[in-house]
Amino acid sequence: MMKVSLFVTCLCEMFYADVAKDVVEVLERLGCEVDFPTGQVCCGQPAYNSGYRKDAIKAAKQMIKAFEGADYVVSPSGSCAAMFKEYPAIFAADPVMKEKARQLAAKTYEFTQFIVDVLKVEDVGASFPVKATYHTSCHMTRLLGVTEAPFKLLKHVRGLELVPLSNSYDCCGFGGTFSVKMVPISEQMADEKIRHIEETEAEVLIGADNGCLMHIGGRLNRLGKPIRVMHIAQVLNHRGEGGEPYVDEDRKSTVL
Amino acid sequence: MKQGVIQNRERFLNHLAEKLGRGRKTAVEKPEWTYQPQREIFKRWSKEELLNLFIKSAKANHSEVYETTAEELPGQLVKTFENFGGVPIVASKDARFAEFGLESVLSEYGVSFWDIQKGSRQMDSAAAANIGLSFSDLTLAESGTAVFFNDKHKARSINLLPVSSIIIVPKSTLVPRITQACDFINQRVQSGEPIESYINMVSGPSNSADIEMNLVVGVHGPIKVCFIVVIDK
Amino acid sequence: MSMKIGNQPFFERVEKNLKDPYMRQAMASVQDRLRGRKLSATVNDESLVDWEMWRNAGEEIRTHTLNHLDVYLEQLSDNFAARGGHVFFAETAEEARLYIQELVKKKKAKNVVKAKSMVTEEIGLNEALEDIGCQVLETDLAEYILQVDDHDRPSHIVVPALHKNREQIRDIFHEKMGYTKTEKPEELTAFAREQLRNSFLEAEVGITGCNFAVAESGSIVLVTNEGNANMVTTIPDTVITVMGMERIVPSWEELDILVTLLCRSAIGQKLTTYITGFSPELEEDSLDSPKDYHLVIVDNGRSNALGTEFQPVLHCIRCAACVNVCPVYRHIGGHSYGSIYQGPIGAVLSPILGGYETYGELPYASSLCGACTETCPVKIPLHELLIRHRERYVNGVGHPKTGEKMMMGLFGIGASTPTLFQMATKMAPWMLGPFAEDGRVTKGPGPLKPWTEIRDLPAPSKDNFRKWFKQHKNSNSEGGADS
Repeated sequence: MMKVSLFVTCLCEMFYADVAKDVVEVLERLGCEVDFPTGQVCCGQPAYNSGYRKDAIKAAKQMIKAFEGADYVVSPSGSCAAMFKEYPAIFAADPVMKEKARQLAAKTYEFTQFIVDVLKVEDVGASFPVKATYHTSCHMTRLLGVTEAPFKLLKHVRGLELVPLSNSYDCCGFGGTFSVKMVPISEQMADEKIRHIEETEAEVLIGADNGCLMHIGGRLNRLGKPIRVMHIAQVLNHRGEGGEPYVDEDRKSTVL
Repeated sequence: MKQGVIQNRERFLNHLAEKLGRGRKTAVEKPEWTYQPQREIFKRWSKEELLNLFIKSAKANHSEVYETTAEELPGQLVKTFENFGGVPIVASKDARFAEFGLESVLSEYGVSFWDIQKGSRQMDSAAAANIGLSFSDLTLAESGTAVFFNDKHKARSINLLPVSSIIIVPKSTLVPRITQACDFINQRVQSGEPIESYINMVSGPSNSADIEMNLVVGVHGPIKVCFIVVIDK
Repeated sequence: MSMKIGNQPFFERVEKNLKDPYMRQAMASVQDRLRGRKLSATVNDESLVDWEMWRNAGEEIRTHTLNHLDVYLEQLSDNFAARGGHVFFAETAEEARLYIQELVKKKKAKNVVKAKSMVTEEIGLNEALEDIGCQVLETDLAEYILQVDDHDRPSHIVVPALHKNREQIRDIFHEKMGYTKTEKPEELTAFAREQLRNSFLEAEVGITGCNFAVAESGSIVLVTNEGNANMVTTIPDTVITVMGMERIVPSWEELDILVTLLCRSAIGQKLTTYITGFSPELEEDSLDSPKDYHLVIVDNGRSNALGTEFQPVLHCIRCAACVNVCPVYRHIGGHSYGSIYQGPIGAVLSPILGGYETYGELPYASSLCGACTETCPVKIPLHELLIRHRERYVNGVGHPKTGEKMMMGLFGIGASTPTLFQMATKMAPWMLGPFAEDGRVTKGPGPLKPWTEIRDLPAPSKDNFRKWFKQHKNSNSEGGADS
């Protein structure tokens, strides 16, 4: 049995515990043994991207330590997985840490990437009959290079009508601290993204990065739009003929 | 040959070397470039394929293009003169006009050849001319481009100042793309040959999309360009 | 004029420009168009075989050239001077201006025509010449329009008058030049051709920028479409070329690669209408060449990047591909950057040339989406350089908010101490609880306030994931209730 260590990410842990549960259940259903290194914290991206390299290094060291014994590290966030891939460059001047960082980076995967590229599975047996559109996150596509995996998985979700999103390559305006430092610009970027989402007439917006979803979903809510926002793990954990959730009726089926 | 004056060079370049963390270097061996993607493009195409590509590219650039033979060239030239509104016509001083037997048809149209003996009024004539006539020195198929190695006889004013430009393209001048033109120039530079003071690669009529990204053909350079490709060899 | 545009603080400029519907729509439509054109001419053009190889070639050539910039500039100046041209090395904008002023004064010239050149704008050349009584005419159509409109500033590197619509241009021409025809672009352009024609023919001094100088032959290569650069380098007796010192290639062999990258990345053209390589005239009896050639090589802060992690920014060939994919530029427009260099390249370059005091906010006006890095034909890691700027900014050269440094310090502690981190996670739902209604927070306290200004925030999960996971594992190992 494949041993997978879950890198849950701070956003997911703090705001979207339900998504994390779906991630665990999907991986287990696909035959993985999931463990959760309790020493994990935050990948350090907010500090790193804001220029606070020293503080980011503290987080990175702790993360390297926490995942030292892992075989595979899987994260429901392309952005956070990409941050792990950045660690070797961050420790470029420290050969010992650099090697540890390199090892961690080599075994880190984003959730959909892991299922398709490592488990070699495209049909997870999900069923979710809605009209939906998918948001491609910038870091996942550009920095991690994961472009196909989510679409391959969604293609096999029974009943799902996936409509392409125009201008999908344009950033939604989250960008971590950008979303609070440059509010007027972040707002406009979100609103343009939402205009394109509405053009698809989708009932549900699916994504693979909680940061983006929190931002777009939060804005959708504020604007009073009825579109549901879900993480792909939640979609993939939907079974049942009528599109009922697989297990645990209490679980929130939307991110917001 | 008069040497030009160079000022402030030492201080300037010493500062750069300092920034680069080393002493001044005065020579460097240029590396064999790892990536040379330009070398593969259209390499094995025949002259025929290159011609078709040239015609396609030139038309896409809003140039007119005609194909003709050496026998029919004078006739095609007349047609194009008429299409472009006729005289006055100026032409570069180029031995190829005689080689292609064009002297009589050009004389019929009163074509004025660039003549350095006639002084700078030549520029005024070119500026007042309706058509400028010249030969392409090298022709780039990929981009529909005529390359001119302008000098005091093959004056640059000829395909700049008149309203329209007619360029005769001998088929033998066709090469795949700018790579071959640059290689040709590079070889001459390496051999120590001083190159022409003006090497101009022209890919069609002047244009601009500066207003609302709307393409307007015809700005400061010629507003119409016609390539007449002559099957010579 | 200089590199700086306007005097308003960054956030004020942004707020103002976000409210300009024509500009926003123009930016979006130009981006969509130029992006599409670039893709067709690069990644999707099979005849190029592999666009990545072209980018690698561009990066390799630029890296080598910059690492030996002193060698190639020496070679360029030797070869230019050997043909009778004069070369002036200007470390500062002021040195460049003074040299050109003295030269033009000595020639007693008054009529100056200019082809498009961003570096001349950067050093404030137009005013310097006007100060000594010259009439300086911009001949590039967009620059001409901006000049006629009381010296409005450019909003895009390649399409500078993007923020103006045809009606505005018609009105400008009517008001300032007595234009009486319609707003059709063909008629407006024909008017400009007519107006500028005489000025070209009477010009005494021509000023150009430099797309690429070729070191080995002492040549200047200009990449244009309108024909104005050809007029400027043919008719006047004196030609002055102002060159950013990094705009150089070793030989014509490398020119091939860079011209290909530039034309295709900027507007999706295989080549622009005129690729013109001129060198000082050797034939004394040539009738239509300038007699006197001057090359002014400008540093003006570019050497600040040499030998540092910012050196790759000097690879730039000014194609504006990054500007055309930037989602921030899309909304705030060129003028918001407060610099003639806008978009991602502007955000990286402006602080290097002009300092953090004036341009310190620019590196923060980015969500780090990476679209710029992905598209750059010479592989400048633009979004990473923005992070490098931020590192410098918070470490002394800038003024980060005092709270922020402290918060990041606390973050560093919390993120290196698992127990503290877990405590924060456990406390969050209880701390934000009072602010939550219906599972969401609409008016967040303290640092969350900017978030909730325009978005709701989900109330933190009361259900602790780690607790659930422990229970989940236990129930699994007990024979599992899940089916």
